[in-house]
Amino acid sequence: MDSYRIVVADSSESSRKLICKLLNKKGYKTYQATDGAGAIRISRSVFPKLLIMDTNLWGMNAYEAARIIEEDQLSTVLFVTSNPTNSFYQKLKNMNVFAYVMKPIHPDQLYQMVEFSIMNGSKMHQLSKKIEKLESTLENRKKIDRAKGLLIEHLRISEEEAYKLLRRKSMDACISMDQMAEKIIKKYI
Amino acid sequence: MGCNYTKEELLKKATELELEFIHLQFTDILGVMKNVSITIEQLEKALNNEIMFDGSSIDGFVRIEESDMYLRPDLSTFVVFPWTNHAKEARMICDVYKADGTPFEGCPRNTLKKVLKEAYDMGYTMNVGPECEFFLFHTDERGEPSLETHDNAGYFDLAPIDLGGNARKDMTITLKQMGFEIEASHHEVAPGQHEIDFKYEDALTAADNIMTFKMAVRIIAQRHGLHATFMPKPKFGINGSGMHINMSLETLDGKNAFYDGEGELELSKTAYHYLGGIIKHARSFAALTNPTVNSYKRLVPGYEAPVLIAWSASNRSPLVRIPAKRGNSTRIELRNPDPAANPYLALAAILKAGLDGIQNKINPPAPVMSNVYHMDDVEMKEKGITSLPENLYEAVNELSKDEVIKDAIGAHVYEKFTDAALYEWYEYSKSVSKWELDRYLRKF
Repeated sequence: MDSYRIVVADSSESSRKLICKLLNKKGYKTYQATDGAGAIRISRSVFPKLLIMDTNLWGMNAYEAARIIEEDQLSTVLFVTSNPTNSFYQKLKNMNVFAYVMKPIHPDQLYQMVEFSIMNGSKMHQLSKKIEKLESTLENRKKIDRAKGLLIEHLRISEEEAYKLLRRKSMDACISMDQMAEKIIKKYI
Repeated sequence: MGCNYTKEELLKKATELELEFIHLQFTDILGVMKNVSITIEQLEKALNNEIMFDGSSIDGFVRIEESDMYLRPDLSTFVVFPWTNHAKEARMICDVYKADGTPFEGCPRNTLKKVLKEAYDMGYTMNVGPECEFFLFHTDERGEPSLETHDNAGYFDLAPIDLGGNARKDMTITLKQMGFEIEASHHEVAPGQHEIDFKYEDALTAADNIMTFKMAVRIIAQRHGLHATFMPKPKFGINGSGMHINMSLETLDGKNAFYDGEGELELSKTAYHYLGGIIKHARSFAALTNPTVNSYKRLVPGYEAPVLIAWSASNRSPLVRIPAKRGNSTRIELRNPDPAANPYLALAAILKAGLDGIQNKINPPAPVMSNVYHMDDVEMKEKGITSLPENLYEAVNELSKDEVIKDAIGAHVYEKFTDAALYEWYEYSKSVSKWELDRYLRKF
């Protein structure tokens, strides 16, 4: 097991210490936060692999803090709750991984959920990175095609010539082809 | 910020962007931003100026019998909030109108527009570049803001992380996404204090920008687990937060009216008269540029804040400084305003003071060359230098004696503003502070 960094955010000192102790036993490195804003501050400093967060947190609402932490890709959040209500399940649906730990803490369940969340969290993260990259490639491709079409139409040149022209122009200007394509589109429209 | 959509374009854009909520924003007399949030379905109604709200529910706005107010969104202020990923939201800044279709005189944005119109009739438009300072503090376990700026928890295995600096970086990125041109962003003198400067704009846009800026800074700070405060002097013994106002007038054909290559210090007659007006009315518009009890705790000697009403071309200590840049960048920097000020009212009052100077050809006193902090009383008297009001009560009194500034903000705003300011003052005077306890509890 890798020695990942984990932030434990729980307003109850005893429960926070218990979770940390259990995690330390397995070799994880732990950091503690007592409230929502504190959890955000620590996450921004240590970039943990996982944030374990009690739903009943002091200060900033736990769900609000969790949303910010996942939106800004600081960590994956794993909730701890003693009361999994319907509205809790609804909120859980919007999180990176659909998993939680029940209170009172059962060590085996905790370990299993922590591993599960870390693994699935990083898989999710990789996938979303991949999608982002593909989307931007697709977007750029569209732009370049559009610019090429405009060049063919306005300069009456072949497709290959248009492509070469676009490539040369972007090299001359030291910018990427999609940026040049954007300029060409702006110029003609 | 320059997106000039028509109604139809904006409706189309909102649908394309899949917006869910639109916040219709306006500012009350005390400088607090108010929101009427509508769903996308109501956007068309809003664009037809048909959104109504109950004015009597807003502090210091109106009496109950004239409570129906209408919001007229300014389409050029349409901005999508970059920080909401889950539901897309946007905002527009609005003017408040009465049921009979006339501008409401208690809407600060209308007040500024009125004074800008006066300037326009004299042949000028006003450009403003604000420098806004603020503090980033930690919140405590209960989520309440504290005065703490450093993490006291020790993470020995990690290099110290500048949480405030990271938050500021995020703020700069966010503001850029919202159409701001950021000129500078840096740490200020005091621990936890930051400054972000954005490019000058016409006065109305600048005032809108100040309000937007404060909102964005607060929200981003919260996303970093920090609390941003624009309180003028949050901590005794360190610098307070100011909002220096850089301003210039532009003639209608686009020339800087303050620049004259031939003039003394390369400043035009107009610039000198404008400056004269500012100096003359400084004591009375202080109530508007420094509107809280706390504001006057910043305006004390020793913390880079101005105290004396004087001007200089080089020295940074007096009230007004003329930065070295000339040509189109010729400008006047007023150093007393603080970020608690209602930007619309403050700019309206400052501009009016300057215009009064131009109209009545008021000449400013001679500039001070030495550090004014080092002058003694005799020297000051000789040079005719007075100081800014020492507290809010004095400032409100000064305002009550100045018909020019009162005229700038109008009778309605004047009345509501002084009521609120005096209420603050009396509440403050009655309260027993920690300072008093520390001082007298044992002594007597």
